[in-house]
Amino acid sequence: MASETIARLDEQPIIQIENVRKTFDHGKVGALDGVSLNVYRKEVVVIIGPSGSGKSTLLRCINRLEVPDSGKVTVDGVPLTDAENINKVRMEVGIVFQQFNLFPHLTVIGNLMLAQRVVRKRSKAEAATIALDLLNKVGIPEKAEMYPGQLSGGQQQRVAIARALAMQPEIMLFDEPTSALDPEMIKEVLDVMLQLAEEGMTMVVVSHEMGFARAAANRIVFMDDGQIVEDSPPQMLFECPKEQRTCEFLSKILH
Amino acid sequence: MTNGPSEAVGIGSSRGRADWRLVMLVVSSVLILAGYALPMFPNRITEAVTRYSLGATRWSSFSVLVTEQHYNQNTAPLNQELDSVAIEVAPVTAHAGSGWAWLAQLLAPRERLGKFFSLVVCLALPVIAALYMLAWAWVLLRGKRDTHEQMIVPGFSLALLTPVCLWLAWQHQFDFSARLLGLASAALAPRAGFYLALLGTLLACATAFSYRRDTHRALFSWWWLVLATALLIWLLTRFRPQPYLEIWNFISDGIVVTLRLVATSFGLIVLVSLLGGLGRISHNRIIYGIASLYVEIVRGIPLLVQLLFIWFALPQVFDGIGDLLLAISPGLEGAAAVFYDLRLNPFTAAVAGFTLCYGAYGAEIFRAGIASIHRGQMEAARSLGMTPLQSMRFVVLPQAIRVILPPIGNEFVALLKDSSLVSVLAVSDLTRRGREYMARTFLSFDTWIMVALCYLVLTLFSSRAVEYIESKMRFER
Repeated sequence: MASETIARLDEQPIIQIENVRKTFDHGKVGALDGVSLNVYRKEVVVIIGPSGSGKSTLLRCINRLEVPDSGKVTVDGVPLTDAENINKVRMEVGIVFQQFNLFPHLTVIGNLMLAQRVVRKRSKAEAATIALDLLNKVGIPEKAEMYPGQLSGGQQQRVAIARALAMQPEIMLFDEPTSALDPEMIKEVLDVMLQLAEEGMTMVVVSHEMGFARAAANRIVFMDDGQIVEDSPPQMLFECPKEQRTCEFLSKILH
Repeated sequence: MTNGPSEAVGIGSSRGRADWRLVMLVVSSVLILAGYALPMFPNRITEAVTRYSLGATRWSSFSVLVTEQHYNQNTAPLNQELDSVAIEVAPVTAHAGSGWAWLAQLLAPRERLGKFFSLVVCLALPVIAALYMLAWAWVLLRGKRDTHEQMIVPGFSLALLTPVCLWLAWQHQFDFSARLLGLASAALAPRAGFYLALLGTLLACATAFSYRRDTHRALFSWWWLVLATALLIWLLTRFRPQPYLEIWNFISDGIVVTLRLVATSFGLIVLVSLLGGLGRISHNRIIYGIASLYVEIVRGIPLLVQLLFIWFALPQVFDGIGDLLLAISPGLEGAAAVFYDLRLNPFTAAVAGFTLCYGAYGAEIFRAGIASIHRGQMEAARSLGMTPLQSMRFVVLPQAIRVILPPIGNEFVALLKDSSLVSVLAVSDLTRRGREYMARTFLSFDTWIMVALCYLVLTLFSSRAVEYIESKMRFER
C-alpha cells in the first residue's frame, strides 16, 4: 500500500495548503515562505527537513495553532479563518506533540475522557468505553487509573495518541512524536502509528524516523528554509533525490 | 506457640532491647487500665453557696459537675461582687470514684453527653491510648514491621496527649472555676488510681519516643505548636482568671467578628483575584489595561489609607454623584436619592476595602500561577477542540491551583493579621475589643498578650491547614 502514489486529480484533497507564509517576531524570523501542499484522504505524508526549516510550523498551521500571515488552509472543505470554524476543524484533526502534553492532574483515562465529555458531550459511560477501547488498542489498558507522571515516555506518548483518537478525528498530525523518547521506547510508539496507517488514517507526520517513512509513507516532503524542496514517494526520494539539498540532508541522517 | 517471641527478634537491632520496649508497652497500658479501676477522683462537689457583697446569696446543687456554679461566679447580681463561695463535698459511691465509675456515670444519661463531652473525651483518651499500646505490642510480637512503622507517629502523639488529658479530667470537676478549685482542691485531690494511670501514660510516652528511629516521619508536627498556644491561653484563663478570664470573656465575640470578616473577604478576594489574574493575561488590550491599572494603583496605596478612604470619604463621593445627577437634570431626582442614601455599614466597608486591596495582590498571584503552566497544556486542550474558556477551566486552572495555593495561603494569613486594621472603622473585631477592654481597665500588658495569643492561634492554625491541603493536592509531574 505504501508504494501506490497517485495524484488523485479527480478527488478533492482533505488538506489544502495554498501559498502559506508565516514569520515570527514581527517579520524578523521567516518560518514559512509560500508553501503549498495537498494531502488526500488515507494518505500518509512524512515531512522531513533540517531543524528550523518550518516543518512544525507548517503542521501547526493545519489546525491553526499557528496563524499564517497570508495564504489559505482548507481542511475537509472548511477554510480555517475564524473562531467558529476552528473548533469544528480541531475536533476532526488530532495532534500528537513532541512533549506529549498530557494533562498531569488527570489519570490516563481522565485524559482520554475530558475532551469527549466537554466537546463531544458524550456520557460518562460512553466516554469511558471508548477510552478503554483505545487504551487496549495502544496496548496499555492496565495503566488507566495511573497518572501520566507515573508512566514511561513511550507509554505517555501512546496515551497522547489515544487521547487524540478519542475524538475520532479524520486526520492525525504528529509533531516529532518520537524525538523526546529514549531509543528503546521509540518502537512501541511507531508500532501504534504503523497500525493507524494500515487502518487508513490520514496522517501528516513530522519525523526523522526513516524506517517508519519507508514502511508507511505514501509521500515524503523535504523542507528547507521555509520551502518545500522535494515531494516524492519514499523509494524515489531515497534512491535518486532530484535536488542536491535533499541529497546532502539524507546523507547526514542516514549515516 | 513459641513462634511469637522468636519472630519478635526480627524487630530492632538487638533482641534484648526490642523485648524490653515491648514489655514497656504492655506495662504502660496495664498501668493505665489498672489506674482506672482504682479510686481516681473519689469526692465530688454536691452543693455550693455563693455570697455577694450586698448580701445576695445563690444556692446550687450538683449531680455530677459544677457547671452552674461557674456560671454563678461569672455573672454576679447587678452592682455586686463575689464575696465568698462555700461548698460541700460528698464521696462518689460507685466504685469509690474510679475512672470506670466516672465514665459510666457520665455516659449513662444520654442527654448529658453533650454537656460533658470534653470530660468524656479527657477520660476516654487514656483508655484508647492503653488499647493502642496493647495493639502495638501485638503487632511487634507478630513481627509486622510495616504496620509497626506506621504506628509510631500516631502512637507518640496519642501518648503525649494522654497525661494532659488525665490532668484536665481532674480539673474538669471544678468546671475550670478557679475560686472553687482554691476552696476544694484539698478535699477533691486525686487518689492512687490517677497517679498510677499518669505513670502509665508517661511510660507510654517514653516507649513510643524510643521507637523514633524506626520511622522516617517526623515525630513532632507543627500542629503541636497550635495546640500549645491554645493551651497557653487556657492556662492563663484558668490560673489567672483575674484578669485573663475576664479579658477572654470580653474579647471572644471579637474573634467571631474577625473570623466572619476574614471569611467573607477571602471568598470575594479569590473571585476578584481570579478575574484580575485572567485580565492580566488577556490578549484583549482593553481588559488587560483595566486589570493592570487596577493592580498598579491599588498596590501603590497603603491598605489603611484605602480603608479610611472607603469609610470616611466614600459618603462624600456618593453625595457628589447625587449633586451631579441633580445638576444634569432635576428629573434624575430618584437616581440622586439612591446615592444620597447609599451608606456602607462598617462591616461592609471593611470587606470592600480588603477585597479591593487583597484582590490586587491576588491577581498577580493568579497571573503568575497561570503563566507557570506550560503553553503546551493550553495547546493540547485547544487542539482537542475545547474553547479557551473550557481549556482554562478544565486543564490550566486545576494545575495552576496547586501553584497558587501556597502564596494564596500566605495571603490568607496576612489578611487575618491585617484584619486588625478595621478597628479604626468601628468594627468590633478582636483588636477593637482589646482596645475597649484596655480603655476600661488600663491593663495594657494582659490585654494585648491575650489578643496576641488569640491571633497567634488563628494564624498558626491556618498555616497548618494550608500546608495540609497542599500536601493533599500534590501529584506526580
